[in-house]
Amino acid sequence: MAHGPSTMPAHGLPAAGRAPSLRRWDGLGYVLPAFLLLAFFFVLPVVALLLRSVLEPTPGLENFAKLLTTPTYAQVFLNTFTVAGVVTLASLLAGFPVAWLLAVLPGRWAAFLFGVILLSMWTNLLARTYAWMVLLQRTGVINRALMDVGLIDAPLPLIRNLAGVTIGMTYIMLPFVILPLHATLRAIDPAVLQAASLCGANRWQAFRRVLLPLSLPGVAAGSLMVFVMSLGYFVTPALLGGASTMMLAELIAQLVQSLLDWGMGGAAAFVLLVVTLALYALQVRFLGSGRMTAGGAG
Amino acid sequence: MTRPFLDIKGIRKTFGPVVAVEDVTLEVAKGEFLTFLGPSGSGKSTTLYAIAGFQPPTSGEVLLDGRSLLAVPSHKRNIGMVFQRYTLFPHLSVAENVAFPLRVRRRKDAEIDAKVARMLALVRLDGMGGRMPGQLSGGQQQRVALARALAYDPPVLLMDEPLSALDKKLREKIQLEIRRIHKETGVTILYVTHDQEEALRLSDRIAVFNRGRIEQTGTGRDLYENPATGFVAGFIGSSNFLPAEMERGEGDAAAVRLPDGTRLTGVRMHQRLGAGESCALMVRPERLRLETASTGGVPVRIDDVTYLGDSLHFLVQAPWRQQIGVRMPIASGIDAGLTSGTEARLVWPASAGHLFAGAS
Ligand SMILES: Nc1ncnc2c1ncn2[C@@H]1O[C@H](COP(=O)(O)OP(=O)(O)OP(=O)(O)O)[C@@H](O)[C@H]1O
Ligand SMILES: [Mg+2]
Repeated sequence: MAHGPSTMPAHGLPAAGRAPSLRRWDGLGYVLPAFLLLAFFFVLPVVALLLRSVLEPTPGLENFAKLLTTPTYAQVFLNTFTVAGVVTLASLLAGFPVAWLLAVLPGRWAAFLFGVILLSMWTNLLARTYAWMVLLQRTGVINRALMDVGLIDAPLPLIRNLAGVTIGMTYIMLPFVILPLHATLRAIDPAVLQAASLCGANRWQAFRRVLLPLSLPGVAAGSLMVFVMSLGYFVTPALLGGASTMMLAELIAQLVQSLLDWGMGGAAAFVLLVVTLALYALQVRFLGSGRMTAGGAG
Repeated sequence: MTRPFLDIKGIRKTFGPVVAVEDVTLEVAKGEFLTFLGPSGSGKSTTLYAIAGFQPPTSGEVLLDGRSLLAVPSHKRNIGMVFQRYTLFPHLSVAENVAFPLRVRRRKDAEIDAKVARMLALVRLDGMGGRMPGQLSGGQQQRVALARALAYDPPVLLMDEPLSALDKKLREKIQLEIRRIHKETGVTILYVTHDQEEALRLSDRIAVFNRGRIEQTGTGRDLYENPATGFVAGFIGSSNFLPAEMERGEGDAAAVRLPDGTRLTGVRMHQRLGAGESCALMVRPERLRLETASTGGVPVRIDDVTYLGDSLHFLVQAPWRQQIGVRMPIASGIDAGLTSGTEARLVWPASAGHLFAGAS
């Protein structure tokens, strides 16, 4: 993984606003309670799980070896990464226009749209997933509408497969790309886009050469969030997916609950954790941890 | 009559019930440096934005070289603009910022490189091409913005208070640069400011804006010496407005009476005024003189004297309790008796008075 000091490209001028690193640990005493809480409720269980994965049924790494070599498990990993990837891409494509709308709509309309998004976020997850089941099933609204219009003769298989999982999860993940994207887009001065237009850039060029590069921090933050959340998602894949579309979280649940194989379950959970942490490290490396603002506020 | 290069005809712009620009008509010659000067909210930016294409006017017409601009989308207008705020693309280097308009026009790399180098030299930023905008001072950023706006040889350059965020010293330095660049490129410039000194220093002509209209257009000297309205007289330079009553007028000359009964004849009248009408007599502080020996003029009491190096500034109290500013060059020989608290006579040549409608 990334070693060494956090390297920023060396410029001629010192970058403004960076705190001297010596003082960084001064306030350590204040975070001690939070630190203990984290250690007790997060680190401890994880370590326990890791221990079981290398100790059960016999000490050694055979759980991990089995996990990474068995074709069935490989399929689960493939499913997981495929769905997470496609869901990330789909939520980006659908979320960008919405985030843009939120940024440019006049206050009242933006507030309304925000309300709709938040409301959908706060609605019970199961309720939303069952709603998608109703919409997507063979005799569901979508299939019937398509058949009535005459676009298709037989109902499309939209459920119990990856398509269903992807659709359902994209909907649930949308707010998690819209919110960070909206924050970056809002920080972009509209005058910069006007300048691009007067410079001769048409809408596409202005988007491609100015808006998109400036919104990259938001794109990255949103994608990472969605990708990581998707990797470990359980409810939606379980309800909208089929037997062949099992994802990692379902596998863990099954290993632990049905098969009582804590060793394998622990190994799978650990792999998931490592992948997640690795992605987070990548983000910190390339984008910085807290600096999710547009590159050009200054 | 030759056709004006940029012809702005009866522009009007409303935002709902707000009238931002009432009626602006203006003809600009090729290569001219014309400044919009006016108080905040007088419609300067809105007029500029109508030309840029961001806010299409509610009515009116803008012709460039005889062709209407209004139907052309802003990215095809080929107009340059420098904004009040810093609008460099923060993710692109200085050189790439200047190259941007050429890249979207799909020019060849070699041509772009040559042009960027020439533009950076023009704004005296050679060697800074590799910097990022965040590493530049405000003045440097605006110079890069200027280079970017000129890179595609626009026929017209719009500048909306480009220097207002800079301190006075730097502002004056860049004003000189802008003048030089105007001379070197010959580009037609429309410049917005509410700093009259800046307007006087930079422009060939100044259009004075007030409440969505142009009150007067002319050279700085025109506006100063022959203001068309009381607003222009008050906005350009310092001025005193004495309440007066019209007695009679012949042609451009009028006879008026001040509140203390002093009669003045041969006053220049800028607006039609009828006998008996109350009006305002404008006199510049530097045209007024204080004398102790004289018996003519208006009797005043000196409230305050300020030493300004080359001149003395007096605040005097007129019999009708108005405070009037007087500025006298020290070189002109000032009576030593003119000290705070003493009485004196306020005199001025009749031609120094300008008469406008409405007492102020
Ligand atoms: N988008 C808008 N919506 C509503 N009113 C506006 C809008 N833009 C400008 N106005 C109003 O129009 C009037 C003229 O504005 P404008 O920006 O042209 O003034 P200005 O002369 O440039 O002033 P300043 O020197 O402060 O920049 C102002 O009263 C302003 O409030
Ligand atoms: Mg303005």
